[in-house]
Amino acid sequence: MEKASHLSVIVDLSPTQWYLSAQATNPYPLPIETFLSHLLAFLNAHIASKHENTLAVFGAFPGKSVMLYSSTETSTLVDDAPPLDANSYPPFKTVDTTMLQQITHELEALGHMEEEPPCALVGALTKALCYINRITHPSTSATSVAEDPAILSEPHILILSVSPDLSSSYIPVMNSIFSAQKLKVTIDVCKIYGPDTVFLQQAAHLTNGSYIYLERRDALLQYLIMSFLSPPSIRKVLAAPTQDKIDFRAACFCHKNIVDIGFVCSVCLSIFCQPVPVCSTCRTKFPLKTLQRLSVARPIPPLANSRNTPPLTSINNGAQRFIPRPANGGMNS
Amino acid sequence: MQSVQEQSSSVHPPENVPHALLPFLRSQSQNTLTRLYQRPSSCLSIFRLLGPLERQLVMNLLWLESAIPTSTMTAWVVPEGRKLYDNALAEMVGLHIIQNSPAKLALNSTLKSSLRQAVTGGGITGSFGVPAERDDKRHAITTDTLDTYALERWEASIQTILHYMVSSGHGQLPTKPSQGVLYLLQRSELMKSVHGSPLQITSSGFQFLLHSPHDQLWSLLLQYLHMAEERQMDLVEVLSFLFMLSTMELGREYSTDPLSETQKAMLEDLRDYGLVWQRKASSKRFSPTRLATTLTSLSPPLPTSSTTRTAQAGSGSVALTTGAGQQGFIVLETNYRVYAYTDNPLEIAVLNLFVTMKYRFPNLAVGMLTRESVRKALSNGISADQIISYLTTHAHPQMRKNNPLLPVTVQDQIRLWELERNRLKSAEGFLYKDFASQADYEYVLSYAKQIGVVLWENAMKRAFFGTLDGHANIRAFIERRTGGG
Repeated sequence: MEKASHLSVIVDLSPTQWYLSAQATNPYPLPIETFLSHLLAFLNAHIASKHENTLAVFGAFPGKSVMLYSSTETSTLVDDAPPLDANSYPPFKTVDTTMLQQITHELEALGHMEEEPPCALVGALTKALCYINRITHPSTSATSVAEDPAILSEPHILILSVSPDLSSSYIPVMNSIFSAQKLKVTIDVCKIYGPDTVFLQQAAHLTNGSYIYLERRDALLQYLIMSFLSPPSIRKVLAAPTQDKIDFRAACFCHKNIVDIGFVCSVCLSIFCQPVPVCSTCRTKFPLKTLQRLSVARPIPPLANSRNTPPLTSINNGAQRFIPRPANGGMNS
Repeated sequence: MQSVQEQSSSVHPPENVPHALLPFLRSQSQNTLTRLYQRPSSCLSIFRLLGPLERQLVMNLLWLESAIPTSTMTAWVVPEGRKLYDNALAEMVGLHIIQNSPAKLALNSTLKSSLRQAVTGGGITGSFGVPAERDDKRHAITTDTLDTYALERWEASIQTILHYMVSSGHGQLPTKPSQGVLYLLQRSELMKSVHGSPLQITSSGFQFLLHSPHDQLWSLLLQYLHMAEERQMDLVEVLSFLFMLSTMELGREYSTDPLSETQKAMLEDLRDYGLVWQRKASSKRFSPTRLATTLTSLSPPLPTSSTTRTAQAGSGSVALTTGAGQQGFIVLETNYRVYAYTDNPLEIAVLNLFVTMKYRFPNLAVGMLTRESVRKALSNGISADQIISYLTTHAHPQMRKNNPLLPVTVQDQIRLWELERNRLKSAEGFLYKDFASQADYEYVLSYAKQIGVVLWENAMKRAFFGTLDGHANIRAFIERRTGGG
């Protein structure tokens, strides 16, 4: 018997990035309105595929993550159900109205801020994983809706990303990837705007998902449907796009920089951008001799890779080399 | 021989069985299907009935404006999936979902626009059902009431079959089903009346009882569709009404005004089967029940009878018992004992088909699987695999811890009991004898062996037996030989 599938979508809703994405100077400008209409059509297509398919949508807003929609907990998110309409399928209608209401509500609540805090992508990812864990193990939760335990859904996560990498979130992202592997959850990534993100590439690679860098952004819906609609089991027969090259670089634990050559603690595997006498994680002391040898062998620091440096955060960029700056961590001159 | 093979092939379905309705749709003309595809709700329902790869292909094509070359589409699947892809394509061409042309492929334009409309909403077709005006005077119907109603109606139909089967008489009819249901059961050859005698259950009727409610519902509905053709009902209206029901929301009331005459007539029939609920026969509004809204799902969350029954008995303990019934109730031990934790007469009667019942307790029935009881079932046309699959699907949660689920000894024994009945095989064919010389005999025999049609041979009597389909060849061979020599 064919299983139902569960899809959790994580939408990056950073106002700044969406504003930049809509600029007419881009090769294919994509304003958020168009994006949302494509996304809603994609979500409907997922629900349309099977009666039992479930869906959850999480929004990553600046500084907070919110569950925008969930097919099992609709009533808690919206006060009153939308009136029935003879021309649309009730579940589609519910998704559309709930999503739009929630997004409008959250974006209005943001108000004006001097500097936009980074998007809580990790928060949303963690929430999605927790949610999947809950629905795949219904017996452990008392609140879950009467779902047939015999039909375990095939969960996958789709991340729609517009923000650049946040190098301070390296460790949480990696931890999420490991939990996803353990839960057998596939993570797909669609990079809609901005430079390639190293961490999400790794997330997709490590969980057998696909990472797609959107080239023709006007064809977003077609990309979404062809690459991400089918559950992992069907993908075996589909020629799904794969990554030809994956950036496996990690971020150092000390300055949260993405490093080409890192120094790894032999005890706890923490990564550092330069040889350190004492590991900051496990407090292991390294022999002085080794340190000297490593310092000599070290390439000229720091190696800023232009492709992965966020180009938009250069305003506050100073020489704070040893002060971790989460907002613009990748930039050190 | 023939019938045994057919049975076993129906018991071991391939991984993804196509839905029972699809062959019926394939047999319809392109014109009928195109008219059906005009309604977004029908498109959505048919889309759901398709297999997973078909669905993906439809979605891939849905938003493309122009037809795409066949070679491009072939590149969408990996070489190993080629066979699956070809099957999917053939299925979709058969349903006229994809326009058949050798070089380029595109979706049926009617289907494309309707499905787009279904996914994005909008349009003015009203195919998802026009909701009734809110009526403040009367309470809205609860889903629980609907479930109970659907179940009662549905079991009434099933119990009619049981009534004739269970001679010992604990199959009292809770509600006598209407004439329409009886007729339908008769039409579908689940029951037969021999020379004016009361209705008798047939062997397909026995098999029917072991199917899941979802399969049962669809096989009855398919009969209904065949009947609709004979009754000169417009098939498009009948189908689109069924599909509309399947996309409606449970617990809502819809207006009957926009329905056509055919559909209003259908409403009456569907009320009998428990798919639709109406306050009064003349009511202007109707509600679909869970049976209807889960039509297009492959495994419906139909409230199992034991669940609702216990819920009804102790109305306070609904939450406690919900779900327990869905997980099954049968415990089978290695000593052939069967414990069924149920008080549902329907389930017990079904068990009674192949189990010798020993004791009855308020919530438990105990029985034995014996050679006699299983042979009785086998002679009724039930196969060993059906018995085993029934026991597997209804196994108690406690049993699920076992691996394998059912004791191997019992499974094997049931299969052996079935084999006992198959000691004799019959095959139609021809006996070739009275050969003039041993050489002649051997010459013809070696030819027959080459084409693989020999079933039996005896060199002493210079005779051999060949299958029916080999006869033409052998005959031609002998004639050639006698003619030539």
